[in-house]
Amino acid sequence: MTERPAPDADGFLLNVQGISKHYQGVTALDAVGLQVRPAEIHALLGGNGAGKSTLINILSGLTSPDSGTIMLSGNRLELRRPTDALGSGINTIHQELSLVPALTTLDNIFLGREVNARFLGLNVRLDRRHMEDRVRSLASEFGLTEEDLKLPVGEFGALKKRVVEIVKALAFDTRLLILDEPTSGLEEEERLNLFEHMRRLRGKGVSLIWVTHHLEELFGLADTATVFRDGRLVGTVEVPDTSVDDLLGMMFGIAAGEFGSTATAAVVTEAEESREEVLRLTDVNRSYILRDISLTVHKGEVLGIAGLAGAGRTELARAIMGIDKISSGTVHLKGKAVKFSDSSAAYQKGLAMLPEDRKQLGILPELSVSENISISSLDRVSWLGFVLKGRDEVSQAESYRQRLGIKTADVREKIRNLSGGNQQKAIVARCLNTNPDLLIFDEPTQGIDVSAKVEVHNLIREFVANGGAAIVIASEIGELVELSHRVIIMKKGRLVGSVDHVPHALVSGQFEAVKNRILAMSAGRTES
Amino acid sequence: METTSLKKNQTVVDRVVTRLLVDPTLGVLALLVLICLLAAFTLPVFLNGSNLYNLVNNSLVVMILAMGMTVVLVSGGIDLSIGTTMALCAGVSAAAMNFGLPLFAALLAALAMGALVGLGNGLLITRLGLPDFIATLAMLGFASGVLYIWTKGVPIIGYMVPEFYIIGGLTPLAGPLTLPMVIALLVALVLGGILGFTRMGTHFFAVGSSKTGAMQSGVRVDRVRMQAYIFSGLAAAVAGIIMAGRNTNVPADLGNGYEIQAIAAAVIGGAALSGGRGRILGAILGAITLAAAVNLINLVGVPSSYQKIVIGGILVAAVLANRISAIVSGKVRQRKAMVLEGIPA
Repeated sequence: MTERPAPDADGFLLNVQGISKHYQGVTALDAVGLQVRPAEIHALLGGNGAGKSTLINILSGLTSPDSGTIMLSGNRLELRRPTDALGSGINTIHQELSLVPALTTLDNIFLGREVNARFLGLNVRLDRRHMEDRVRSLASEFGLTEEDLKLPVGEFGALKKRVVEIVKALAFDTRLLILDEPTSGLEEEERLNLFEHMRRLRGKGVSLIWVTHHLEELFGLADTATVFRDGRLVGTVEVPDTSVDDLLGMMFGIAAGEFGSTATAAVVTEAEESREEVLRLTDVNRSYILRDISLTVHKGEVLGIAGLAGAGRTELARAIMGIDKISSGTVHLKGKAVKFSDSSAAYQKGLAMLPEDRKQLGILPELSVSENISISSLDRVSWLGFVLKGRDEVSQAESYRQRLGIKTADVREKIRNLSGGNQQKAIVARCLNTNPDLLIFDEPTQGIDVSAKVEVHNLIREFVANGGAAIVIASEIGELVELSHRVIIMKKGRLVGSVDHVPHALVSGQFEAVKNRILAMSAGRTES
Repeated sequence: METTSLKKNQTVVDRVVTRLLVDPTLGVLALLVLICLLAAFTLPVFLNGSNLYNLVNNSLVVMILAMGMTVVLVSGGIDLSIGTTMALCAGVSAAAMNFGLPLFAALLAALAMGALVGLGNGLLITRLGLPDFIATLAMLGFASGVLYIWTKGVPIIGYMVPEFYIIGGLTPLAGPLTLPMVIALLVALVLGGILGFTRMGTHFFAVGSSKTGAMQSGVRVDRVRMQAYIFSGLAAAVAGIIMAGRNTNVPADLGNGYEIQAIAAAVIGGAALSGGRGRILGAILGAITLAAAVNLINLVGVPSSYQKIVIGGILVAAVLANRISAIVSGKVRQRKAMVLEGIPA
C-alpha cells in the first residue's frame, strides 16, 4: 500500500534530538532524544509524569517544543498543528480516543482529509462513494464490514474503536504510527488481537512508537525500548536483551525487587474460616444485564470478579451500590435486608465504590485534593453537618497523604494537577474516609504506572487486613489472582464459575494454572 | 435456517422501532400530526386552508433563524444573539434604502452586517475563549444597544419600495407563492446540503460531537466554530430582510424573543444542545410545529401574552423528549446487542 519509507544516513526513520518543553516553570521534557528505525516496534516507557505524553503531543503536532529538532527520513519537520504531523505521515492513536462518536466510521476515517467531488461547478461535495472504495479492502482486512463503515462509531466497543483508529491511520500514507497505551480498556483476547495488527503493520514497513505500562507485553513484540524518567532520557535498549526487572530499574531508578513483581506478590494471607458475613446477594436480577446472581463477601476477604467486557461486572457493582435498580432478588448487608434507592444511601450503610472511569466518574478535577477526599463524608469535617471546618478538612487530608503516600506538595492543590496514580490514591482515601464495611474497586489500577499500582494493591490488602471486605473488578486476570482470596467469573450477566482458596494455590506455585482456568471460564470454554 | 430468519425478523422490527423512537425528525412529525388531530376535533377552523397557509407563512422567519441556529447547535455552540442580529440587519437594510442606495446594495449591506456579527461572535469565542453562552449574550446586548442608540427608539420608516412588499411576502410572487417561501427553501437547500454533503458540514458535526477528537484528526476547530456563527449571522440577516419587508417599519425591539423561538424550533427538530446532532428538516418541522401551537392557542382565544409561556413549555417538553429518545435508543441498542450475542430476552 505504501512504499517503504527511507531511513536517513544513520539508518533512522525518526530522529528526535534535544527536545525540551516547559510548562509554567515546570520542566516536562529536558533535552530528550528518540531514534526509531524503519519497520520496528519501539516501546516508549516511563512512569507517570516521565514526559511520554508530552513527547507524543509534540510529535503529533498538538504542542510545540521549546527547543530541539525532529527529523523524519533526514528531513527536518516543523510540526505546528496536527495537520502538519498527519501530512508528514505521523499518525497518533491517542489514549483518549480521537474518534468523533457522532460521525460514521467512514467520516471518521477521512475526517480532516475528506475527498471532494465537483457539484454545480464547485469542488465542495463529499465523495463518500470514492472514500468508501478507497478503504473497503483495508477495512475488511481489519474486520470492518461495509455496514460498519456506515454506523456511527459511538455504537462500537473499545477494541473496534481502536481498530477504526488503526484503519484511519493506515488509510493514508503512514510511516510512523504512535500508539499511546493502546491496550487500556481491552480484554485479554482483544489485546492479542491488537498485537497481531501491530505485527502486521511492522511487516508492511510501518514503524510504531508504543507507549505502555504493561512491561510483560513487550517481550516477543517490541524490538527496541526507550525509557524516560522525570522528563529525561534514561536510555535505549534492545528488548530481547533485557528483562522486566532491568526496565523497572531504568524507569524508577531503584532495584526492581521493591515492586513485588508477579512472582513475589502472593503475600495475601488466607482469611480465617468462619468469618463474619458482610454482604450476601441472593438471586439478584436486572433485566437483560444481570441474571440470578448469588454471592457472599466476608470480613477480611477480597472477592475478585473476572469476566470479559460486557459480562456485567461493572453493572453488578452498580446494582450493589444502588446506582442501578435490581428487578428481583435480595441484598443483605451484615445480615439485614437492604434496598438502596441511590448510592448515597449505600454510602450511609457502609458501602463505598471506586468507580471504573476515574476521569469521568471519580475525581472532581476543579476541587482540591482535600476536598476530593472529604466529599463523600463531609459531616466529619463540619459543624452540625452544615458549616465546613476548612482546617479539619486539610489536616484530615494531610494524614491520608502521609498514610497513602499521595505525592503532592500541598493537599489544597487542585486534584487535576496530580498524576493518575496519585489521583487514584486520593479517591481510595475518599472511600476509606467513609469508614466502609465493604469497598468495591472497579479497575483500581487502570492507567497508572507500576509503582503506583503496587501501592494501590497494598492499600487494598491493608484495608481487608484491618477487618474490611473488598470486591475487586479487574480485566487483568493476573492482577485479580494476586489480590483475591476468591475469584468468581461472570459471563453474559451470569455467574459461570468460581475459584476458591486462591492464596493457597499461589503459595503452591499454581499462578499460571489459576490464571488460565479463570481465563477459560470467562471466555466460555467448559470447565472440567 | 429458522434461527437466521428469526434473527432477521427481529432486526427488522428493532430497526423500525429504533427509527420511530430515535429519529427526532419522525418524532417532531408525530407531534405535528398530534397537534393537527387535536385541532381537527376541537377547532375545525384550524384545518381551514387559509389558516394553514397563514400558519406556514408566519413560521418562515423563525424557520430561517432555526436553520441557522441548527448549524451552530450541531457544531456545539449556541447563538443567543440571533434575534437581535436579525433586527439590526433589518435596520441596516431599511436605513440603506433611506440613504438612497439601490435595493441590492441595501440587501448586501444587511447580509454583510449579519456575517460581521457572526464573525464577532466567533472571535469572542475562539480568540478570547469566552463560553458561547456568554459571548453571544454579550453580542445580544451590543446589537440591541446599537440599534436603540442609532434609531433613538423611533422605528425606521419610509423605506418601503414595492419590491420590499414582495420580499416581505405582503405581495405574493405568483398565486399563493410568496418570496419568503422561496427564500426559506433556498436557505434549507444550502444549509441542508452543507450539513449533509460537504467537508464543512462533517466538520460541524465532528467539532460538536468531540472537540478533542476533531482537533487530533487535524480539523481546525476554531475556524469551524467561527464558520458556524457566520452562517447563523447570515441566516439572521436573511430573516431580517424579510422582517423589514413584512413589518413595514423597523422598531428597535423587532428581534426580541426570536432567539427563544429559534432555539425551541431547532430543539423540537432534534438538535442537541450538547452538539453533534441536528437536522435542517427537523428545524423546518420544528418551526411549523411551534407556529401551529401558537396558532392553536390564538384560535382558542387565549390572550397572546400567554404565547411566551407556551413557547417556554414547548422548549422544556422538546428537551425532555430528546432525552427520552436518547434513553430509549440506548436500551434498544443494548437489547439488540444481547440478541446478537444470543441471550434470550
